[in-house]
Amino acid sequence: MDCHNQEECSRPQEEEDIMDIPLDDPEANRAAAKIQAGFRGHMTRKKMKPEDKTEGEEVSSTGDVLHSSQGGSGERLPSHHNYA
Amino acid sequence: MAPKKDPKAPAKKAEPAPAPAPAAAPEPAPAPAAAPAVDLSSVKIEFSADQVDDYREAFGLFDRVGDNKVAYNQIADIMRALGQNPTNKEVSKLLGNPSADDMANKRVEFEAFLPMLQTIINSPNKAGFEDYVEGLRVFDKEGNGTVMGAELRIVLSTLGEKMTEAEIDALMAGQEDENGCVNYEAFVKHIMSV
Repeated sequence: MDCHNQEECSRPQEEEDIMDIPLDDPEANRAAAKIQAGFRGHMTRKKMKPEDKTEGEEVSSTGDVLHSSQGGSGERLPSHHNYA
Repeated sequence: MAPKKDPKAPAKKAEPAPAPAPAAAPEPAPAPAAAPAVDLSSVKIEFSADQVDDYREAFGLFDRVGDNKVAYNQIADIMRALGQNPTNKEVSKLLGNPSADDMANKRVEFEAFLPMLQTIINSPNKAGFEDYVEGLRVFDKEGNGTVMGAELRIVLSTLGEKMTEAEIDALMAGQEDENGCVNYEAFVKHIMSV
């Protein structure tokens, strides 16, 4: 991160408007942190669900928890409760 | 005092000296670094017995050592697993602003975890659907409901509590259309569905 404080950041990336990113704005950073917190929450919960590709259906109808076939983290939550 | 030829008046009445500072610390100013630590002992636990059982079960899943505790650096994830979305800063504050070393090595038992969880659950500024959408709308340059995936990636990796490329890739998998755009309302709905 060399020239993050300068007006003209002579970087060759014109595709993204990096200048528009308010790096020092506390409000923007606070908003970003909230969004990131939501994203991280989502990803952790998603990672803990059984890997059976069906969103919203964690358990098969026979009641078996579909453990992922790889080593697996072994952290399966009792999904019958609503944690919200 | 006018010394009347006495050597120093010895008997200083053996008062319980209130910890004579050994000349090192100038003022005992605690100087709270980031944020003042939360007083967890005053948090009232409002969970039902069933909830506590669920939480204990989840907590147990994270205990890899078998001492009925989890490491500081697992606390955020346990809370996320239980449906919360704490920022890393909030968790750090609950843990008393630990060092990186503390995060890796110190452990917490379930009873100590409960008031932390309660604090997060009670926290007033929790973001809902609208908050996320509004936050992302800032980057919707054309006002058409989409943001550039590339720009979102940059924001996530440079602002706030920066995300790693791996985290961002996992998050954005399948979210960008053929033009590299993300419909952020759909994106937020997807995020909130888990």
